Amino acid sequence: MRYGIAVDTAKCMACYCCFTVCKDEHCGFAGKYSAAQPMMGQFWINIVERERGDSSRRTKVETIPLLCSHCEDPACLKASRDGAVYKREDGIVIIDPEKSKGQSAIVEACPTGAVFWNEELEIPQKCTMCAELLDDPEYLAYLGDPKLKRPRCVEACPNRALIFGDLDDPDSDINKFIAAGKVTPLSGLEGQKTNVVHLNIPTVFLAGTVYRPVAEEEVAIGAKVKLTSAETEEVWETETNYFGDWEVEGLPKNKPIDIEITFDGFETVNLSAVTDTDHYVAQTYLEAK
Amino acid sequence: MAEKVTHSICVGGPIAIHTENGTIRRVRPIVFDDSVAKGWVIKARGKEFTPDRKTSPAFIAFTEKNRAYSYDRIRYPMIREDFVETPDGKNRNTENRGKSGYRRASWDEALDLVAREVKRLQAAYGKETITACTGSHHSWGLLGYKLSAFARFFRMMGYTAIMDNPDSWEGFTWGAPHTYGYYWRLGGTEAFDLLEDGLQNVETMVMWSHDPDTTRGGYAGNESCLWRQWLDKLGVQFIYIDPFNNFSSIKQADKWFGPRPGTDAALCEAIAYVWITEGLYDKDYIAKHAHRFDEWADYIIGNGTDRIAKTPKWGEIETGIPAADIKAFARRWGTTKTMGGSGLRGGFGGVCRTANGTEFARLMVQLFAMQGMGKPGSNIWSGSTGAPMDYNFWFGGYSDPLSQIANAPIADKTAVNPVKQFLYRPNVPDAILDGHYEWYGNGFCGGGIDLEFVEHIYPEVGCNKVHMFWRYGGTFMGTMLDTNKWVRMYKSPELEFVVNQDIHFHGEARFADVILPACTNLERYDIGEYCNSGNGGYQSHSQTGCSWQVVVFQDKAIEPLWESQSDYWIFANVAERLGFGAEYTEGRTELEWCKRFWEKSDLRDRVSWEDFTKKGYYIPPCPEDHERHYGFRWFAEGYPCDTPNHKNFQEEGKLGTFTGKFEFVSESLLYWAPDDEVRTPIATYKPSWEGHHSIKARKYPFHLISPHPRFDYHTQHNSSTPWIWEIPENRKYINGNPYLIARVHPTKAAEKGIKEGDMIELFNERGSVVCVAHITYRVEPNTIHAYGSSGIYNPTIPGETSTDIGGCVNVLSPGRLIGDKVPGMAPNSTLMDVRKYEGELPDSQLFEDKLDKVAFDGESDTASCKEIIEGHGFEKLQSLVRAKYQEGARG
Repeated sequence: MRYGIAVDTAKCMACYCCFTVCKDEHCGFAGKYSAAQPMMGQFWINIVERERGDSSRRTKVETIPLLCSHCEDPACLKASRDGAVYKREDGIVIIDPEKSKGQSAIVEACPTGAVFWNEELEIPQKCTMCAELLDDPEYLAYLGDPKLKRPRCVEACPNRALIFGDLDDPDSDINKFIAAGKVTPLSGLEGQKTNVVHLNIPTVFLAGTVYRPVAEEEVAIGAKVKLTSAETEEVWETETNYFGDWEVEGLPKNKPIDIEITFDGFETVNLSAVTDTDHYVAQTYLEAK
Repeated sequence: MAEKVTHSICVGGPIAIHTENGTIRRVRPIVFDDSVAKGWVIKARGKEFTPDRKTSPAFIAFTEKNRAYSYDRIRYPMIREDFVETPDGKNRNTENRGKSGYRRASWDEALDLVAREVKRLQAAYGKETITACTGSHHSWGLLGYKLSAFARFFRMMGYTAIMDNPDSWEGFTWGAPHTYGYYWRLGGTEAFDLLEDGLQNVETMVMWSHDPDTTRGGYAGNESCLWRQWLDKLGVQFIYIDPFNNFSSIKQADKWFGPRPGTDAALCEAIAYVWITEGLYDKDYIAKHAHRFDEWADYIIGNGTDRIAKTPKWGEIETGIPAADIKAFARRWGTTKTMGGSGLRGGFGGVCRTANGTEFARLMVQLFAMQGMGKPGSNIWSGSTGAPMDYNFWFGGYSDPLSQIANAPIADKTAVNPVKQFLYRPNVPDAILDGHYEWYGNGFCGGGIDLEFVEHIYPEVGCNKVHMFWRYGGTFMGTMLDTNKWVRMYKSPELEFVVNQDIHFHGEARFADVILPACTNLERYDIGEYCNSGNGGYQSHSQTGCSWQVVVFQDKAIEPLWESQSDYWIFANVAERLGFGAEYTEGRTELEWCKRFWEKSDLRDRVSWEDFTKKGYYIPPCPEDHERHYGFRWFAEGYPCDTPNHKNFQEEGKLGTFTGKFEFVSESLLYWAPDDEVRTPIATYKPSWEGHHSIKARKYPFHLISPHPRFDYHTQHNSSTPWIWEIPENRKYINGNPYLIARVHPTKAAEKGIKEGDMIELFNERGSVVCVAHITYRVEPNTIHAYGSSGIYNPTIPGETSTDIGGCVNVLSPGRLIGDKVPGMAPNSTLMDVRKYEGELPDSQLFEDKLDKVAFDGESDTASCKEIIEGHGFEKLQSLVRAKYQEGARG
């Protein structure tokens, strides 16, 4: 049994239900595994909304519910003394609210910023995956398997963006859910095994619109757009849609990209962009051959 | 863990409440057990779709514990400290309202004073001298909500009733019925079973001025989020049109257009131009179902009186959207099965709350008509209503007269108001300050189009003016417009006596002479259904915005906190003092009233009262072969209308217009208002009276749009829930004050020297509001976005029309009506300017401090706000932590 939460960032609509129920569960209430979360300033699950793009022509958002990843080999555990951080048998990483007193190194060790410092109590604090509720035989709510209860954030999610379950069970919903998406580790956790698994975090998009010659005031539908990275020798091909828009999502970061736009009867257009961040590259106007 | 679990509903949705030893421990969604029947299954495009077995409330529902124990709860009756009970009602220091402190009073003292004033005023001026008004949705439940306990009390006492304006769907109410009827739904259409239709058939969704993940089906929580996820996954294209690239759009849109605010009707006309000139519309349907289409088409192509062809290029100049894009949009819409609409029920949206809102609403309906509205996959349906339900199960909603304790059969005797004088909500301050006001229309005109044209005058012939105002629930500081005119009204000696009965010390309570503390939904009994606002009224079957029908016994989770009491208790006790206590209560306790709703509904046939109250909720099953009544299909396909809540003439295939058809030239307007220049018989785009063509635009060049909020509901949540002050898209917490986020385009921000996170002042001739800048491409350069109805009204000089630092942007919006004969509000026709704010700001100007002052000034045994909160255990750490946090923020 290894408890995990899969987080599909593509499905998260940043509704803040998880954020609020986490506060509801932990603010002002201490439990076996944690001291009370202060009313302000700590976010055991936070929603990180990052706007993407450099033009009103195309703006998107990356939405990452950010919580403790309950790492297989936690950096916070290594940074702790006297058994202040430990892993339960089910994989949940717990910071002991008493033994951890004064150990601010536990906060600093976390590569994702998921551990907070409680100034008043002088302890590090974070998500417990609602371990106390999971242990409680009378805590009755469930969805699907009655033997498997869920943390508050998962229960409250209306978007099926958070899925809880047993990562050791190959047939579990959570494993199917992970298999259906693309695992995208949080920055700082690359290559590490974690019990909270983030899916579908976008990388970089390039987008643009192709118009027929200016005077026509018409979009160009079905123009061929070919993106090439000379460095990685990767090629992406797409076509402009009914709005003349093209977009390629999921590009590798920090690469120069050559863009070639072709449309029968018109001069080929060559553009270039760098995937340092998301770009709306251009409104391109074709010229007749 | 020995916890008691009870259930309730709030405006955010149904919740399960866990209490431990008389203290609320946690608030959860209701997760169904095995006794609840299987949910509906929709089969579409080779897939099956079914909802999760739980309720999906909005995050605001999960703040209910925090709101119950909130620092700004009104804890005991209070009387303004410089209020003098003069025998003639004069010399009462009314100019100090809003700034004076309060002293604590006993319930007897407060209620005796209220009763004495009622009797004095009634004797001096007659029953019409008292007026009263409710906010909306500060509580939920058929007993406690405004049309029940409140209405019963005031109708029995007699009062000048205040007509609500349809503040969320103005343009549709005052416009759309002239095109396609549906006045009984205030201009909105019928969405029955269109979720199934959409999943099966639609190719393009036009989300016009619609942010479903923010407006959440009105009161339907996050129930419909999954539906749009399913549509998205099926490859349906989502096109969003909104001056703000809203939260649903930025995550889900395939295309976003940000028209200049107030020019949406021009975009409609340009789309129509493309369709007419390229033949991209359903000519057979129009020939059969449209009235005087050709005259309108002539106008569009340039043969109208203005001789202007509404070409895409013309549209570009008004809206800022490139002509090529308009053409592409029109063609996509005209060649694929398209559903959509404006706002959460297809007939809402910020766009209808503009000076041109009626014309937009009518044109939007005309566009859907041109594409064969009602055929499969072609309808007004905006993806947030229309789930399957069992139409044969009846449980009342709050707007059903049959489901109010004001009326039989719930009560033995219906309460009837003997006073014939009215006021109109948006203009109450004008009427009080000027002593005279006249207007057309009955506000909510569900009874007939003619009601839009009823003439009203205040004072009514033979009536006296109003001298007492009893405000109940919620605050208009932040929901009504031109906030400062409300401030001026409250300071007027014309109002000899002001009562405020509310749960929280929100912006308006501080203007009262007597404050009566009501308790929250969690501290009293009630009964209600999730998102059911009525099954025969203007939002009929709104519960189809939910995946399940959930009827809840709203059990009392805890005893009323501090000295608060239920609204029913308050009214019953005043009634007692006025001599109609027994008539008011009919001898029933609140729990006994709740049982009446069970008894008088279909609930009685499904579940015993004992089982219902024990389990806490009932979910009527929706059988797989449930009756389908696809909205508007009867009209398109020519069979007798079968949808719920229809009118007799629909069975003959007619709409609710004069001709029974889509009127492209409105016969009802030709009859009643042929010379109206705001709402013309042919719906046309007209520049706003406060827009980019106005002279004022030279001085105030930015449009402010202040749509319905994502992080609040009618200003109730930000004030009381510090948790949400730290949501970066909502507020920024600086020096003890939570400032609202205002969104500015990067190029304009650069011109003004404004950087991300800077304090900025939004201002015009009506006032100013300090916000925090978020620099973003999600608005066009001409637009600034800051949510309305989420302000914490907090003027730097209390009681004055001074700069607001609580994000009450309604200070800036115009108090005028859309037109002389169109009595709607237009908050999204606001011009203003912005500058970086570098002046002084008061630190920690929170209500908490003000309430502490009340506590300390009161009797010596009164504990401070902080101590009382700590005494209840829940927020033990809050004060200390916040103090430290404030220090940190200052440092």
